[in-house]
Amino acid sequence: MTRMEPVELELPPADEPTPVPVGRGGTWGLTWHGVRTVAVLDLRQRVRSTRWIVALVVWFVVVGGITLLTTGALEAFGANDGRDRNTGPILFAAVTSLVLGLGLLVTPTLSSTAVNGDRNAGTLATLQVTLLSPAEIATGKLLAAWSAACAFLLTSLPFLVLALAMGGTPGWAIVRVVLLVALLLLAVCGVGLGFSALAARTAGSTVLAFITVAAVTVFTPILFGLTFTTTTDQEQVTVWGLEDGWADGDDPGPCEVFTAERSVSHTERTWWLLGINPFVVVADGAGTGPLSHNGDGSPLSAMRDGVRMLRAGPPPALDECWTGTAAPAELQDDLEQDLSTAPVWPWGLGANLLLGAVGFVVAVRRLRIPQRTLARGTRVA
Amino acid sequence: MTSTVDDEGSAAGPPGAAPAPTSPMPPTPPPGIAVRGLRRSFGSVHALDGVDLEARAGAVTALVGPNGSGKTTLLLVLAGLLVPDSGEVRIGGFDPVADGRAARARTGWMPDTFGTWDSLTSREVLLTFASAYRIPPAQASTRVDELLATVHLTEFADRPASVLSRGQKQRLGLARALVHSPDVLLLDEPASGLDPRSRVDLRLLLRRLADEGRTVLVSSHVLSELEEMADDAVFLSRGRTVSSSVESDGPAPRTWHLRSLALDSATAWLTSVGVAWRPDDDSLAPPAATPGGVLFELADDATAARLLRDAVTAGVPVLSFAPATGLLEQAYLALDEERT
Repeated sequence: MTRMEPVELELPPADEPTPVPVGRGGTWGLTWHGVRTVAVLDLRQRVRSTRWIVALVVWFVVVGGITLLTTGALEAFGANDGRDRNTGPILFAAVTSLVLGLGLLVTPTLSSTAVNGDRNAGTLATLQVTLLSPAEIATGKLLAAWSAACAFLLTSLPFLVLALAMGGTPGWAIVRVVLLVALLLLAVCGVGLGFSALAARTAGSTVLAFITVAAVTVFTPILFGLTFTTTTDQEQVTVWGLEDGWADGDDPGPCEVFTAERSVSHTERTWWLLGINPFVVVADGAGTGPLSHNGDGSPLSAMRDGVRMLRAGPPPALDECWTGTAAPAELQDDLEQDLSTAPVWPWGLGANLLLGAVGFVVAVRRLRIPQRTLARGTRVA
Repeated sequence: MTSTVDDEGSAAGPPGAAPAPTSPMPPTPPPGIAVRGLRRSFGSVHALDGVDLEARAGAVTALVGPNGSGKTTLLLVLAGLLVPDSGEVRIGGFDPVADGRAARARTGWMPDTFGTWDSLTSREVLLTFASAYRIPPAQASTRVDELLATVHLTEFADRPASVLSRGQKQRLGLARALVHSPDVLLLDEPASGLDPRSRVDLRLLLRRLADEGRTVLVSSHVLSELEEMADDAVFLSRGRTVSSSVESDGPAPRTWHLRSLALDSATAWLTSVGVAWRPDDDSLAPPAATPGGVLFELADDATAARLLRDAVTAGVPVLSFAPATGLLEQAYLALDEERT
């Protein structure tokens, strides 16, 4: 309208309907205004139901109860063998796992009814015909579900701080753990949202969301275990040890370098099965202690170091020398590989977020109107 | 639309110029809703099988048809929720498929069944929709207050929607459809669940909206009410438009009902002027000198007016004289016969 050209004036304005400020259009048009409208709507609806308060209280009591019980148990142990040093890290690992585990249990339900629940309640279509874009509706719902998930996370923050206060864990670990758990829960929200847009019934979408979370969390370690034998081959490897085995005599003699056939597990082919596991992601990214082959007493660090060892695969040479003979310097590196400083968590987190992104894209595409096809047994409005 | 035209017109002509054509507007405004050859099937069910419809701006158009005739499907296509298999749709000049956003910005749609967010108050529901239609907050709150007053929900404004009765929810749904002052209103059974007072209010509101130049398309089963508020009617049967106007095929013969203080004198007079009457209560007894009514067919309204004048002049004690059924109802029942 600001640019008036003679060509435009020739057109009779009566034929042209008044332009209405419709904002940015299209399926993927995204404005903060639109996202906030949907998110506020969803959150208001959620926060005002009493179930929500009950759920938060139950969560607080469960996490708190288990934390205190664990603390008590650890202190009883610590009093006996005087290993107080480990109590803090173990408690931190326990609370982290608990929060992540419960979070993975609760979060699917927060978003898995977002779309089909609204459709069944007859509120979705009235929202779709407004100027909100499908991406705004999906993002708003995702944001609302994620905020709810983060509320659970924040409720458990006091217990993480408590574990931190018991010492042995660097302070930034709590920040990293909370951020990683929050991002993993965001991915779960995305997955749930996608299923809620795919399935007609809320029960169906919730089950599918749970199965996906279970697949990533429970089935991946199982699959890793089951595929372990297929990654194991008989190979000629360099060995540092006694070639003739343990002799009868008292002195087995010095260790030597030789080549022999040994079964070798090539876990570098399957480590990613563990890498996408949310628990591994958090353990690897938590930064609870320095890399170490023997563990520094923190279960999270142990898990991180274990997965990194599995990723590296078998060392070039096997150490079978139990006599205490020092290996030659040139072999030392082959026997015990340095643990890689390259983190595992970005890959695992990326894989999880990719799943969530797929769910989000599915939701946006299913929210587009006008609809061409209708799912069996669904009504538009 | 009109304001733009007026602005352009006054800007183009110098003030005080010869009052030649005051407005460049065409004699008839473009139709708010135009539908041609619309088809839509769900699997093997042909929900819409050739719908032609034109709803004038500034008029209330009734959408009449038996259950399952495709009224709701038609409204879903018009609201921009369903893609038609074939055919052409224009809402205020915009195609809801190709230019969905522009069409939706002008459309207010009230579905036949809809939910509300139970924990939100009526005001919050309306403010949410105002926000979804990108109405600035300051403007939105006055608009919402205005709408709440229009549908008589001001006293329920800050109570959760879950405490509203069915009729009140229906009124909230109507207010929701009106939040962005749409040019085209699509109302699916808006009167269901409303008490008589609210029905009158609805009728007056729709009349007012039409008088403001909006296009109003109403589907309803309450035919007597539709007749009172509708200017045009579209009949749907088995997914097809059967007839797009009541008055289109000229004056139709209609059944009239006459009640008299003395039925015998009334029937005697009717027989004398050659009107074939029948009792309105299916009784076989001959008319007595008691109050009673008869039914008869008349060609048109002029005949009816003449007959009433003559009856009164002839001394027949007429109590009431009115059409026995509404035009819509008559047409609807004709559809019904076709259906069976």
